[in-house]
Amino acid sequence: MNPLLPFLMAGDPSLEALPAQLSEARSLGIEALELGLPHSDPIADGPVLQAAAHRAIGRGATPVRVLQTLAGLTDSPDLILFTYLNPLLQIGAERLKTLLAPTPVKALLVVDLPFGEEPAFEADLRTAGYPMVPLLAPTTTLSRARQVLAERPDPGPAAPFAQRFAYVVARLGVTGAGQDTDLAPVSERVSHLRNISSRPLAVGFGLADAASLAAVRTMGATPVIGSALVRELAGGESLSGCLIPLMDGDL
Amino acid sequence: MADAFTLPTRFGAESLGGCYAPETLMQPLLDLEAAFRSALADPAFQAELKAELRHFVGRPTPLTVAPRLAAELGFKALYLKREDLTHTGAHKINNALAQALLARRMGKTEIIAETGAGQHGVATAAACARLGLACTVYMGVTDMARQAPNVARMRLFGTKVVPVEAGQGTLKEAVNEALRGWAGRCDQAHYILGSALGPHPFPTLVRTFQTVIGEEARAQALEQAGALPEAVIACAGGGSNGLGLLVPFLGDGLRRLAVEAGGHGRALGEHAARLDGGRMGVLHGCKTLLLQDEHGHTAETASISAGLDYPALGPELAALAMDGLVEVRRASDEEALAGARLLCEREGILPALESSHALAALPALAAEGVATVLLGLSGRGDKDLSTYQSRLEI
Ligand SMILES: Cc1ncc(COP(=O)(O)O)c(C=O)c1O
Repeated sequence: MNPLLPFLMAGDPSLEALPAQLSEARSLGIEALELGLPHSDPIADGPVLQAAAHRAIGRGATPVRVLQTLAGLTDSPDLILFTYLNPLLQIGAERLKTLLAPTPVKALLVVDLPFGEEPAFEADLRTAGYPMVPLLAPTTTLSRARQVLAERPDPGPAAPFAQRFAYVVARLGVTGAGQDTDLAPVSERVSHLRNISSRPLAVGFGLADAASLAAVRTMGATPVIGSALVRELAGGESLSGCLIPLMDGDL
Repeated sequence: MADAFTLPTRFGAESLGGCYAPETLMQPLLDLEAAFRSALADPAFQAELKAELRHFVGRPTPLTVAPRLAAELGFKALYLKREDLTHTGAHKINNALAQALLARRMGKTEIIAETGAGQHGVATAAACARLGLACTVYMGVTDMARQAPNVARMRLFGTKVVPVEAGQGTLKEAVNEALRGWAGRCDQAHYILGSALGPHPFPTLVRTFQTVIGEEARAQALEQAGALPEAVIACAGGGSNGLGLLVPFLGDGLRRLAVEAGGHGRALGEHAARLDGGRMGVLHGCKTLLLQDEHGHTAETASISAGLDYPALGPELAALAMDGLVEVRRASDEEALAGARLLCEREGILPALESSHALAALPALAAEGVATVLLGLSGRGDKDLSTYQSRLEI
């Protein structure tokens, strides 16, 4: 099982630092990493990631520049591009595929794109090797979860984790380190989801410390660490300094 | 629990609208559509809504002839649909009250709303006080300063007003924060969106609850003047009063116009004129004409009127415009101020800055030879007195 899925905001602290950060993550054994594409109106993000996105935009981390920075990187975990739809729509599917081709991006997590809203765009990208990560929220009923997982199918065990996993949203609300997110409900949801799917699951939103990450691992799922990591990094901490204590020694 | 939408989610040849929502909000939106359809089909809900619109809101609102303004501008006749005379002073109450009734029917105990000019916030606060629902309204800090009387009114009604500091501190940021707030409380709260925008079913729901404006106005025109006017005109922020007035006239052979905020210039960032300044994009859950930069980031906007100061045109109004069924114009800050002054001086009516944008488009219509016009006076201008005082030097 993949023990940790970290999230970084591209361009925060800087785009120049990104290749080294990714290579550092890989040297730590990180298999896959969510990379946030900074957006002006991140409606599903809490204050930490909003601030990170705005800092990054202020420093010139436009969507195209982010993708150009990733071009040619081989020393990187598999990347899941975490983004909102509009910047991708403005780039357009054709140009997006060209921009993505030389990068380590393996999948897209488009927060405001439910299945069925842009079927042609989504199918085009999936065929090109960029499937959309299925999201399962606390409000997603089991019958809707079946629909979501069928619309965004598992490419199978030969595919990398980045293209296979489903993202289980731990709690209601937006991204951000919550105060003591109660993990009992999500643990129950994970076990229900296990009954309908055998694909890998990641659990994120509100996880901030080694104990909550460990609790997610005991569910057999991969914990996502986002806002808490972005905040530490913004405070000047190194990626290794942040991640090593969270790895639980089993990497 | 509903597992698919059954109403159309898209508008026009360009398929605008849709439901571009985070997964957390999908089931709440599916359930909202189902509740909306069941309420519409329920005579008891319809009767309750009708009674509240009559006895609490004060409907029907008058259709007032404006002969001195008509003479000044060169019209044969000018009619004003007086949404400014509703309880709380703008058309926003039609939608806010109806959605509050719907929320109560859904068993929700809490309401979340955004507001720009504060009229939707005040209307929602009043409806919640009346129905005994807890209410939280998100409002940008710039708008809180320029629409201060409405902040006080919301607080008097027991609503919690949450200041939004981000960005320009206007309506866009308030909607961002309301969507975030709703995602955290969607198991118990209903989000009363204030304009015909956002993810499906909101654009349809809001338009449905606002068409009472045009239905009344059309019947009143026929009754009072014996004929329909040559043109019907409203201002357009997200598009709720515009659709509310114009949609019931879609089958008629007349001109339908909506007026956007021209702000103080034509460059991106200086206005909120989405029809010629915008490109197709997705913001706040719907695909529509959007003011944005080349990266797909939402552009800044500017308008003297908080209620029109928003980067996206509601999807249904944008579709009607792109399909040639509604003409969209723009009026600058200065033109809106002049329009407001003229209505005050000639008819003794103080319009909201939003509504003044529709007034500002009248001279051009007269110059084009239009003789009879029906104008949607969406709200009253008490909230804007401090702006009028400083900008009109009174
Ligand atoms: C009086 C008044 N008119 C018009 C508007 C614009 O909104 P819409 O386009 O949804 O009618 C507002 C919004 O706050 C308003 O307060």
